[in-house]
Amino acid sequence: MSDAKPSSAAPPSGEVSRRGFLRNSAVLASGIAALAASLAPLRHLNGYLSVDQFLQKYYKELTPKEMEKVLDRITREVEQQYQIRPHVHDYKPLDGVEFVYCLNLTRCIGCRKCVHACVAENNQSRDPEIQYIRVLKMPHGSLDMEKGDHNYAPASVPEKGFFYMPVQCQQCKNPPCVKVCPVKATWQETDGITVIDYNWCIGCRYCEAACPYFARRFNWTKPSIPKERLNPEMSYLGNRPRPQGVMEKCHFCIQRTRQGRYPACLEVCPAGARKFGNVLDPDSEVSYILKTKRVFIQLKEELGTSPRFFYYFDV
Amino acid sequence: MTSLKTKTKNYLVFLWRCARIAFVGDWRYYSWMGILSIIVLLGINAYARQFVNGLITTGMSDQVSWGVYIANFTFMVGVAAAAAMLVIPVYIYNNKELHDLVIFGELLAVAAILMCLAFVTVDLGRPDRFWHLIPGIGQFNFPGSMLSWDVIVLNGYLLLNVHICGYLLYCRYIGKRPATWFYIPFVFIAIVWAVSIHTVTAFLYVGLGGRPFWNSSIVGPRFLASAFTAGPALIILALQIIRRVTDYRIGDKALLTLRSIVQVSMLINVFLLANEIFKEFYTRTSHVASSNYLYFGLHGYHALVPWIWTAIAFNFVSMALLILPLSKSLKYLNIACLLAIVGIWIEKGMGLVVPGFIPTPLGEMVEYSPSVNETLVCLGIWAFGLLTYTIFLRMAIPILQGRLCQANEGNTAPAIGSGQTPSLGHGQAACH
Amino acid sequence: MNAAARISWVLTGLSLAFLGLSAAFCLDLWGHPAKAPPIPLVDTNFISTATARMSAADLTRSGGDTSGLDCYVCHEKKKPLKLKLDAEGNVIVDKAHDDIVMGHGRHKRNNNCFNCHDETNLELLQTRDGRQLKIVESPALCGSCHGPTYRDWEAGVHGRTSGYWKRAPGETDKMDRKVCTSCHNPHSPPFPSRQPAPGPHSLHPPAKPPAQPERND
Repeated sequence: MSDAKPSSAAPPSGEVSRRGFLRNSAVLASGIAALAASLAPLRHLNGYLSVDQFLQKYYKELTPKEMEKVLDRITREVEQQYQIRPHVHDYKPLDGVEFVYCLNLTRCIGCRKCVHACVAENNQSRDPEIQYIRVLKMPHGSLDMEKGDHNYAPASVPEKGFFYMPVQCQQCKNPPCVKVCPVKATWQETDGITVIDYNWCIGCRYCEAACPYFARRFNWTKPSIPKERLNPEMSYLGNRPRPQGVMEKCHFCIQRTRQGRYPACLEVCPAGARKFGNVLDPDSEVSYILKTKRVFIQLKEELGTSPRFFYYFDV
Repeated sequence: MTSLKTKTKNYLVFLWRCARIAFVGDWRYYSWMGILSIIVLLGINAYARQFVNGLITTGMSDQVSWGVYIANFTFMVGVAAAAAMLVIPVYIYNNKELHDLVIFGELLAVAAILMCLAFVTVDLGRPDRFWHLIPGIGQFNFPGSMLSWDVIVLNGYLLLNVHICGYLLYCRYIGKRPATWFYIPFVFIAIVWAVSIHTVTAFLYVGLGGRPFWNSSIVGPRFLASAFTAGPALIILALQIIRRVTDYRIGDKALLTLRSIVQVSMLINVFLLANEIFKEFYTRTSHVASSNYLYFGLHGYHALVPWIWTAIAFNFVSMALLILPLSKSLKYLNIACLLAIVGIWIEKGMGLVVPGFIPTPLGEMVEYSPSVNETLVCLGIWAFGLLTYTIFLRMAIPILQGRLCQANEGNTAPAIGSGQTPSLGHGQAACH
Repeated sequence: MNAAARISWVLTGLSLAFLGLSAAFCLDLWGHPAKAPPIPLVDTNFISTATARMSAADLTRSGGDTSGLDCYVCHEKKKPLKLKLDAEGNVIVDKAHDDIVMGHGRHKRNNNCFNCHDETNLELLQTRDGRQLKIVESPALCGSCHGPTYRDWEAGVHGRTSGYWKRAPGETDKMDRKVCTSCHNPHSPPFPSRQPAPGPHSLHPPAKPPAQPERND
């Protein structure tokens, strides 16, 4: 900032003339005024940050008591914003569980109900739109995603000659997003779900660049959720409303699955194309599929990410 | 032996005098600084808007999640690294001609690193959470994440250069011979460190398996080659401007030494480009999609095609000029440098960062162009960088010329004489 | 103009510029880009977990109109029905049942009513090997021809199984497994096509999308 305060050149003794002094003060004052005025948009900043939010510790370092306080605070924040009292929990992973998702590409008809059920269950922003699941319309005979169409809108699906492939976070065993996060805001839990601590993420979007599956989403502005569609059953690492400037992604409906239930995308699928469960349980549906079906596709297997999402065909 | 109290007081007086002299100059100085300040203010205002509304004020999206901020960051890291290119001939090859110019190069590195830190900060979604990066207090993912490496090397490089320049200038100011052990080891460390900052920045991109456009071993060498072309080219232009507006003497020999650095680096840069082109377009795997988009357009999208071909044309013309003895004449050398800087800026920015996102890993085509707000923030940071560098030079040149020194503390008129023209440096009694 | 005067002019100009800038900032003169068109909320049909249709059991459970399931309102017991066939031997569906469109099997292979319905007792179904099944036991009938699919269905892998993944084998109250007829119309089983939900909206919609050739080559 060059708010100049020069000495006038003329008097050799170095004294500053009155006019020169006034002129210099004018520049300095107007410069400072301009600086203050340039920050004028900040007057619209309300409720962006509280001291508690700023000082909140890393998820893994929170004691149970501190976590309770945090959950209380989140409950209050959501209630203040949406006038609905939510139930915010912190569900821990179940023992002896590793989640796996199987998707039957013969059955998917491309109706996109899973996309919208996920949005409804997980309190995603409607405008701007955040959708964890992306359905690709692929031509028969190819898995080259460049041939996929994301924006199909025919009168009815499925269309002849195509199959439909929904893609969401693959909860990789070797996740590139976890590797690159500079602050460890995203990590993989023991049940296989890669989670994000929304109060720790700094929004650098390195994970979004690293993900080979376009699974991660960023809150480019304050998310907008219509009050009447808010899902009040929330979890800390899952579907509680996220703040501006942080990442989010599919977390296998952690608030449902860690209570033993199916994720929302599966519950809504009219064709029953989605199968989910504990691969460590030999009696689960996913174990049955992995044992009996012959060909599995793990997307971009060659990248070494080892996804926990298996696509297969029946006929 | 002067006491610690006196030493501190002397140093504070030195800092105060340096700060004061930054506000003194002729009408050209005030115009330049004034215009830059206005641009900085526009940038601050634009960033305030972004802070309130979020990064939706930029042109980025989930599909193209890094844009001009990171592109400029990448370019400026290269410029900062190239300061080492002046250090090598001076300290390793004992080229006395360039000795003082090293300080100008390192001051440029400091300004460039400050710009890099600014670009990264404005790109963050939650800059208020910066403390999460501090090792010990936050959760610093070192050595796993290349971003954490980048934080370390950039800040380390900043400290190294601030120390070296600060120490050498202060020693000149107090008229003392600088102690070799207190700066020479750091100089040699800085040479290696300069290579590392740009390599680590390259590794940010290279380490992403999901982006085949970046996941290639040629990115690192290409970064260094282009940095060592654009950086010294910038220094060549900067030195000539310094020669023009101040009376600091800079011999043509220095400029020609730098020219040979730019020459060799540009040749390597173009050679590596040829390697890339062959690898992409001869084999034609599906990984070629991003290169196709960049050079020829893809599926009807071709926004970057004119940019990259302009950059390549600039690079080739610059290379031709540099090879020919024609560029020994400053006029042609300047043209070659300008073309090289612009060409490489385009290549590293739009030619590297943006095509890595198009098409997305799921094959979607979404293009990117910076928004007005985003551009204002970038211009603000560029202006800030130029402002900082000008201030550094405004402090350093009188010190190097001996016009600002401890001996003439107490004179009221800082470095401005009794003449009509209060241009930089005239009329003040020399210190030594 | 001498140097001092030049400086004066420059600094005065700068002051005015700063003041002008301050005013412009405070008045918020720019920085209001045109908003993208609002994205409408999705129709709640697209987030309902309803199945494609309702099976007989579903219909009964929901308290709907089950009058269509009572055959002997119109038909006489003890009087076996004779089907009307056309010249090629395909069944001609009577006007009374014209809401039924036959489409079971390629080339109309399985369109004979009594392949599945028991002509001696219209309230029962029959398999080809002579077993008689109640209407609500229809999966066994479907499975008598569609073996592999039936096996998958029994394991919970064909069709939708909702509820809890965490259940012990046999804990059927935690599972809501749909029967065949909850999704497939037994007379025309191919899964019905439907209108898809709206596609994704991009963050910065382009002014006009580029004309592009058909991508699926």
